[in-house]
Amino acid sequence: MSAWPETTAARLRAQGFPEAAVRARAATGSAAIFPPEEAYGREVFGASAASHPETADLIDRARLVPPVFAPLRLEKLIDLGREPLFSDVDLRTEIGGFRSAWPVFLSAFGSTQLGSTELAAAASRQAGRLGIPMVIGENVVPVNGYGRGPAGPDSALLSRVRAYLAELPDGAGGVVIQQSTEDADSEVWNLVYSDPGVQPLVATGRLGFELKVGQGAKPGLGGMTVLDAAAAARVGGQYAVTEVFDGSDRRLRSGSPGTFTGEILRQQIRLMRNNFPRARVWVKLHPGRDVAEAARLAWEAGADAVTVDGAEGGSGWAPIAFLDHVGLPLAECLLRIGTPAGCLLAGGRMWEGSRVVKALALGARAAGLGRAALVAVDQDRRDGLCRLLDGLALEASMLISALGKYTTSAVGREDIWLPGAGAHAGLTEDAAIIGDRR
Amino acid sequence: MDNTHGTDDGSLPPAPPAHLASPTTRNALRVQHQVLISAREFLTGEGFVELLSPVIGPVTDPGVRGSKQLDVDYYGHRYKLMTSGILYKQASLLAFDKIFFIAPNVRAEPPETCSTRRHLAEFHQIDVEIAGGTSADARRIAERLLVYVVRHVLAALPDELAALGRDPRVFAELLTEPFGHVTHAQAVAQLHSLAHPQNPAAEIDWDGEELLSHKTDVPFFITDYPKGSRGFYDRESRTEPGVLRNFDLIAPGGFGELVSGSERESDYSRIVTRIRETGENPAKYEWYLDMVRAGIPGSAGFGMGLERLTRFLTGLDSVWQVSAYPKVPGLVAP
Repeated sequence: MSAWPETTAARLRAQGFPEAAVRARAATGSAAIFPPEEAYGREVFGASAASHPETADLIDRARLVPPVFAPLRLEKLIDLGREPLFSDVDLRTEIGGFRSAWPVFLSAFGSTQLGSTELAAAASRQAGRLGIPMVIGENVVPVNGYGRGPAGPDSALLSRVRAYLAELPDGAGGVVIQQSTEDADSEVWNLVYSDPGVQPLVATGRLGFELKVGQGAKPGLGGMTVLDAAAAARVGGQYAVTEVFDGSDRRLRSGSPGTFTGEILRQQIRLMRNNFPRARVWVKLHPGRDVAEAARLAWEAGADAVTVDGAEGGSGWAPIAFLDHVGLPLAECLLRIGTPAGCLLAGGRMWEGSRVVKALALGARAAGLGRAALVAVDQDRRDGLCRLLDGLALEASMLISALGKYTTSAVGREDIWLPGAGAHAGLTEDAAIIGDRR
Repeated sequence: MDNTHGTDDGSLPPAPPAHLASPTTRNALRVQHQVLISAREFLTGEGFVELLSPVIGPVTDPGVRGSKQLDVDYYGHRYKLMTSGILYKQASLLAFDKIFFIAPNVRAEPPETCSTRRHLAEFHQIDVEIAGGTSADARRIAERLLVYVVRHVLAALPDELAALGRDPRVFAELLTEPFGHVTHAQAVAQLHSLAHPQNPAAEIDWDGEELLSHKTDVPFFITDYPKGSRGFYDRESRTEPGVLRNFDLIAPGGFGELVSGSERESDYSRIVTRIRETGENPAKYEWYLDMVRAGIPGSAGFGMGLERLTRFLTGLDSVWQVSAYPKVPGLVAP
């Protein structure tokens, strides 16, 4: 890839993630979704080997499969009175009770240094400008506090809400505050719900709370952060603090994953609806082997959205064993869930259009951007995420129109081909039966 | 939100000097004084022992919809102001079988409750707990207590009530007829028939409660709330899982909830599981759970809102009018 302008000193690293490609898009926007412009008319192009064969998962290896016959394109043609184009694709959707101009939202960054710095504020500002929903991660309050008032230290949480609100268009987006078992001790939701500064969101139906059952990067473990010894001592009552770094005064602070049974999850969701009737309820699941049952139960209990984080996800600190060996890949989660009974959101290495459209084909309503958003704003604090999404949107429009469809909700199982379908018996059969979905 | 005192239309409290000098406030406070005298008289006569409740503790009642607990730095430990005395009410039964508190509570209620006319961030409850009691036992005491207090205040302060414009005839049914009973499910069905969109899995919302309250001349109990709508200490029915053996007492005439009560859980493993169902880590309830593990009596009890009861007796528009130093949710006040 050719050089691109850097507007800030980039320093964030994202190993195992297509960081360079995300940076290119954050710098140049839609241009980066094509081969270099100077090659036009001079080179011929075809499919390359998988861009990252060593990290490719089933979604990367799957292909979107446009049909020959496209009855929904005929509908669109009749509607428009002309042949439809990819620019006729309507990417607007409803994500967990919030209107969004794109089938994407900003995922939680967690409480690591990455999630707490001005990068998160820059991402919030751009997410607000784009009108996409934003999730603010767990542990932000227990770790960073919740200062309020002009005299107090500004907390990560409030400054992100403020940055988001400052550029948010009317009627779009929403802020979702995550709470894990540790956060419950700090009453994060009660605190936000009773804060006068958050009332503009409550009044316009744009506040949500996400119950964090687990996360993609370390299924079955709680949140982990590396802190200096003094900070670790302050939170020692709430977390396991472990000295794992030889000769360093830094400590590993680990939370509990929280104990869940079906009844515990059901009642927690019902309590959220009871206590915060004006907030939307989201539930985030880790890629557990019973993810389908948990998702079904969450929707039954009244969750407005269920987010499934594939094992490819994560922006925080996790043991290598968990990153490499634990949890279901996103595609398998989506396949196990099947046709979702509510709004299903997918996370895990999302950064460009094809992976997002494939997730839509596998049942998701929208995809969460985590690391990609951080890298994009690291590349350009002012416009990086907006440019990344410009490219993603153009790509998604082209892909969806190629499938003979013009809304994100029309994309379905019939639009995706998975290699080695034998290992996923039922999918090809389903695809044959389902036909075009509206 | 406006963080200053007073409004021209009288919907929010004026500054303390004007509020305290107002004849309305003085009459309301006299009514409250007689409520306290008569409540103590009744409960003492029934064999209850009055204890003074703690103001701060390492944990407090989490089962309070939407509101925030307030923290206190207690020798470097994060303590809480009591949102209710429930944990200490259960504990107090280790000393006496029948106890009551007149307990101050503090809850940072969501600013939206500012307009319900029934919420204060700082208020008091007549807190009652009965060892070995059932939900029905607690309801009977609550009913008799309310009748006793109303009769006493009507006899003691006829002039004050007249000055407040409260017609004593509105209490005729309360004093002569048994209180009504509906289950939560029946209340939900009634609200649906009135085209009110009540969530069947949740507490009756403020508007729904007021709607039902306007439909009756006699107080009534709503019983059997669904699990997930109340705190972990409300006992779940052993024969109908998912249904709590609890109740609210609703005053007629739009005044709404006066009392919340329940039979209590006293079994350690059930309490720990229920705490998890409210999303919390049980670790913070250490002192309480240690006590429960060692054994506490089964019980039933209730809390009767002192300011709400006084508002009902006086017929005033807003509950802040019956408090000497009202703290309306979201409004900064001394």
